[in-house]
Amino acid sequence: MNEAAARPLAPWRIGVDVGGTFTDMVLRDQGGDLWVFKAPSVPADPSQGVLAVLQRAVDSFAMPLSDLLADCALFFHGSTVATNTILEKKGAKVGLLTTTGFRDSLEVRRGIRENQWDHRAPFPQVLVPRYLRQPVGGRLDKDGVELAALTLSDVVAATDIFAEDGVETIAVALLNSYGNPAHEEAVAAHLGQSGAHPWISLSSRVAPIMGEYERTSTAVVNAYIAPKVVGYLRDLDSHLHSHGLTRPILLLQSNGGAVSVEQVAERPVNLVLSGPAAGVGALGLYSRAAGSDNLIAMEIGGTSCDVMLMGEGQVEVTDELIIDGYHLATPSVEIHTVGAGGGTIARVDEAGLLHVGPQGAGAVPGPACYGLGGAEPTVTDAYMVLGRLRPGPYAGGSVTLDDELARRAIMDKIATPLGIGVEEAAAGIIRLLEQNLLHAVEHISIQRGHNPQRFTLVAAGGAGPMHGAAVARALGCRRAYVPRQAGAFCALGMLHTDIRQDYLQVHFDNLDTVDGNILEKGFEPLAVRAAAALTAEGFTGAQAIMHRELDLRYRGQLWSIRVALPGGVFDPAAVRLAFDADHQRQYGHTQPGGTIEITALRVTGRGLIETAEPVAAAPATGLPEPTAIRQVYADSESGWRETPVYAGSDLRPGFAQDGPLLVEELTTTVFVGPKDRLTVDEADNFMIEIDGAGN
Amino acid sequence: MNTQENLDPIVLALVQNRLDHISHQMGWVMTRTARSPIFSQSHDFSCFIADPDGTLVSQADGIPIHTGGGGFAVRALLRDFDGDIHDGDVFVLNDPYTAGGNHLPDWVIARPVFAGGNLVAFACNRAHQSDIGGGAAGTYNSEAREIFHEGIRLPVMKLIEKGETRQDIWRLLMINTRTAEALDGDLRAMIGSTRIGADRIAALVEELGMAQYRDYFEGILEHADRSFRRCVSSIPDGDYRAEEAIDNDCFEPIDDAIRVRLGVKGEALEVDFTGTAPQVQGFKNSSVANTWSAVYMALASYFDPDLPRNEGTFRTVTITAPEGTIINALPPAAMTMNTVFVAHEIVHAIWKTLNQAVPERSCAGWAKAVHGTTSGRTGEASPFVMYHWNSAPGGGGVEGRDGFNQIGHLIALGGLVLPNVETYERLYPVLFKRQEFRTDAAGPGAYRGGTGCNFEVQVSVDAEYAFRGEGLYTPSCFGAAGGRAGEVGDMELTFADGGNEQAPKYAVRRYGPLTLRAASPGGGGWGDPRQRDPERVLRDIRDGVVSRQAGEDVYGVAVSADGKSIDEAATANLRAG
Repeated sequence: MNEAAARPLAPWRIGVDVGGTFTDMVLRDQGGDLWVFKAPSVPADPSQGVLAVLQRAVDSFAMPLSDLLADCALFFHGSTVATNTILEKKGAKVGLLTTTGFRDSLEVRRGIRENQWDHRAPFPQVLVPRYLRQPVGGRLDKDGVELAALTLSDVVAATDIFAEDGVETIAVALLNSYGNPAHEEAVAAHLGQSGAHPWISLSSRVAPIMGEYERTSTAVVNAYIAPKVVGYLRDLDSHLHSHGLTRPILLLQSNGGAVSVEQVAERPVNLVLSGPAAGVGALGLYSRAAGSDNLIAMEIGGTSCDVMLMGEGQVEVTDELIIDGYHLATPSVEIHTVGAGGGTIARVDEAGLLHVGPQGAGAVPGPACYGLGGAEPTVTDAYMVLGRLRPGPYAGGSVTLDDELARRAIMDKIATPLGIGVEEAAAGIIRLLEQNLLHAVEHISIQRGHNPQRFTLVAAGGAGPMHGAAVARALGCRRAYVPRQAGAFCALGMLHTDIRQDYLQVHFDNLDTVDGNILEKGFEPLAVRAAAALTAEGFTGAQAIMHRELDLRYRGQLWSIRVALPGGVFDPAAVRLAFDADHQRQYGHTQPGGTIEITALRVTGRGLIETAEPVAAAPATGLPEPTAIRQVYADSESGWRETPVYAGSDLRPGFAQDGPLLVEELTTTVFVGPKDRLTVDEADNFMIEIDGAGN
Repeated sequence: MNTQENLDPIVLALVQNRLDHISHQMGWVMTRTARSPIFSQSHDFSCFIADPDGTLVSQADGIPIHTGGGGFAVRALLRDFDGDIHDGDVFVLNDPYTAGGNHLPDWVIARPVFAGGNLVAFACNRAHQSDIGGGAAGTYNSEAREIFHEGIRLPVMKLIEKGETRQDIWRLLMINTRTAEALDGDLRAMIGSTRIGADRIAALVEELGMAQYRDYFEGILEHADRSFRRCVSSIPDGDYRAEEAIDNDCFEPIDDAIRVRLGVKGEALEVDFTGTAPQVQGFKNSSVANTWSAVYMALASYFDPDLPRNEGTFRTVTITAPEGTIINALPPAAMTMNTVFVAHEIVHAIWKTLNQAVPERSCAGWAKAVHGTTSGRTGEASPFVMYHWNSAPGGGGVEGRDGFNQIGHLIALGGLVLPNVETYERLYPVLFKRQEFRTDAAGPGAYRGGTGCNFEVQVSVDAEYAFRGEGLYTPSCFGAAGGRAGEVGDMELTFADGGNEQAPKYAVRRYGPLTLRAASPGGGGWGDPRQRDPERVLRDIRDGVVSRQAGEDVYGVAVSADGKSIDEAATANLRAG
């Protein structure tokens, strides 16, 4: 870490992650040093948060913005603009063209209920009303063979209706177009000729999967967000360019890879997980630092906890994503989110049982101790009562914490109704929160057939380092890894992200009898598109990697497993072995000699960004002094303990000390219990050894 | 009675969450390891935990019509194997008459959990098997008149004895199914899920201590009891009566009903089925376990979606279910259909009594499905069995929400997911022509019912059709709070020679290639349709699910000539009238 006043060594990389409350920026210079800046997010115009956080860096380095941008080799950006457009229902007016007889698929939603017991809850509002879902004659069969020709006059009639109603963008989703896009392309060509509609989303281009509901839903959401999202990103890109940035900004996609604005303009729906998906890059970095490629990250913010699993160096990418109740079939890293964070509310129900979450207090009014009118006790209030946070200004003075307000909220709402003491109540809130976190980690691991004990837990996010050790202990893990920049986990992760684009073609065949040349003919157009995309980003030769996969299943199954083709070579025997092995791990059994069906071909194009390895920081010299010593409640067994508090910047690689102790870092506070031991590793991050005290 | 006073309230909350989490974990293992797609697609199973007396302490995982009924199976086990239950034993059962089963296809695997040498709990999994013998492939024999036509009956049996699988029993099970490979895999998945559950329960009990763990289990049941008593005490004291028609016995029309009296006195609730139709010759008779689950589902869904799912919730409820009736049949009545029909009717009957008692929470009826199955061969080794799920009917409205336009069975509260037609065209020899909302079929209301749909599919091979169209031709739902029932369902078959016929309500028939057209029924509406927000009526008219005429006649809303805005003056006139 560098002192704030020092100037970075050019060239550098910048990652900017726009979160719900804060916009984070991490700058990594040529020497491997890191700087972190934060500015409040401006949800109405996220670019203001981006410019504000850049201004913080400009002020800190005493360097003009033009220099900051001109010497920036790679500018990564994670933006909530796609997600917020959906959450706030501020997208475009969409018209949908569907096959005659099937225009209601979007609204039937396959009848999927998120919580079946809560049957009084309505479905999310349908994004295209029925009167703007217009039928088009023509039909393809399951193999893409034309049964009835496309009725172009229906398209003409529909566009008249759309024009009359002020439709801004059009989505096209015809039956069986995943196997043959000809009808959709013909519609697009016709719409293109008329020139009235600059934004057209074809389901066969946006999400060429089998299954009309999910494909239609994805095309519609794409159409819904496109004008706003692409418009915003182009503006930001050209603004930064005009101020000196030479290379186009790189956007984080849901698949955990990056892409430039123009390359994602046709599929902005791929940006929905922009931000959290950058955890993939962060896990890649920490797997090298922690010396393990089996990691589970628990990123805990104010309202929620995102859990992500890396097994043998891979984070699973699926075609399933649900955002605010809308189903998207876009390549997305698997993230399990639960309502457990610093602002999570505790309550006692009318029959006398304590609950923690899933509701949160949000940024306003926030926890009771913020003094902004919040009366509900939160996890942060429990930290205060237990001495884990000190009263007074935090986060550069943006909030001032009042421990009396925290104590009163927990006393009135929890301790008194349960008939217990206020400290017992606060400790109970933490225990319940940590149980919820444990269950979330078990969910993502056990459900996929992984044993969580074989993983290192990475505790990230502003609130993660408070709970890393407790959750790791409950899981039976030996250690918890705490990044020093825990509160800027995603912004940092972006700096270690490759360019990535995924392409898919549904293809049905028998693994044992298929002609390899037919597969090759199927892969070829996907590979051509991937190569073109990478070339456009400036990646060719050894920097452009093509990765081929097959989706496979035993005959009769409804779900598939992806199996990689090493070197792109199709070897049916090797594929069968790999499939059986993965099936055994995920499902606990195989069908020896069973018929294996191919269901899809996939090509992933990856543009390799130069690896930025962790740089060894200067080792510790002598034992640093704590900045304070105060009473902190550890757990029910140890009770209140005199606990030293260290400034994070004083702890250097090689530092090692038994708990209890607290570390106050710029973006987080690390808690180490009395049985555990904290060390600072060579990469300048924290490692908590569970039950390591006294060793 | 209040155990909770001696308990640490924090630990109690932790134990409640942990038990529910363990039942979910068992469910993940089941979904991940089972062979049959039904488990990962439709989640047609449930995992549950009972205390050593057979009282259900958690059933957080599973479909609503399984909820609350698991204790019967464990109590049957305790009755039959008193003193002969050992660590490493695993039991199997399915019989609804002797073993606490709900219907034959749902098999229960029950594993006793030991800690410190003591029996401390049971970890259980109830799951619908792919085939159990009987008169029809796929467990549903529409022509069954006795339980003997429906498949193999299993009393409570030890399948694994102190860790050793009883091979004789295993072989017995495998020769009584048409799909031995699937049954073998699915049983192993069930057994595996209970093993994980048992390990986790034992660890929890050891953490709590042998002296204390029962108090915590009891504390959880008492919390559930208090929670539901609060719901009951919100119902005004009195007797509320309702009936739900039973108009066929799966073979012939009949004119009878489920009759229920809901007696409320303070915090006590009585559900009395005296006067209900006698058992019928077809396969929709209910067992005790299934009736209890249906009652549980009706009550829990009416009140709080977060009610704890354990038997404590039922302590204040008394059920009177006269023997020999359709809701508590005597052997050898057939009963495979009961988890759908007559469970649907039981839920409807109870909702109708509650609608009188607590009108502000009233629920309109969900229309019943019209579809059955088509089965045949396409050159594969085994025949296909296709359910016409895409003809699903409309759900009922509640205050603040219209009925779902198309939704799976009421007894799953939408937990059964409808397939994509593209998937079915790949799996079966069919071509879909239509799946579109109906016009003017939704039950009118301030919050209208679901529209139901117009459904059309061509089947290109000779096939057998098992019809079970409870939603055909006669009303199958009801309105609430002044709302009205939706339109009835209809089904017609058109053959290659151009001839056509109306589909029977119940029957098994063979046909050549044909086109099947159905109009599935609309759901019930909630509240006076003339109170419906005119903007919602306008939207329905623009959407084509309500006609202009019905807008005026039924809803009292007139729209402008271009159909895009409300004619305020004409509407005021209509609504004044």
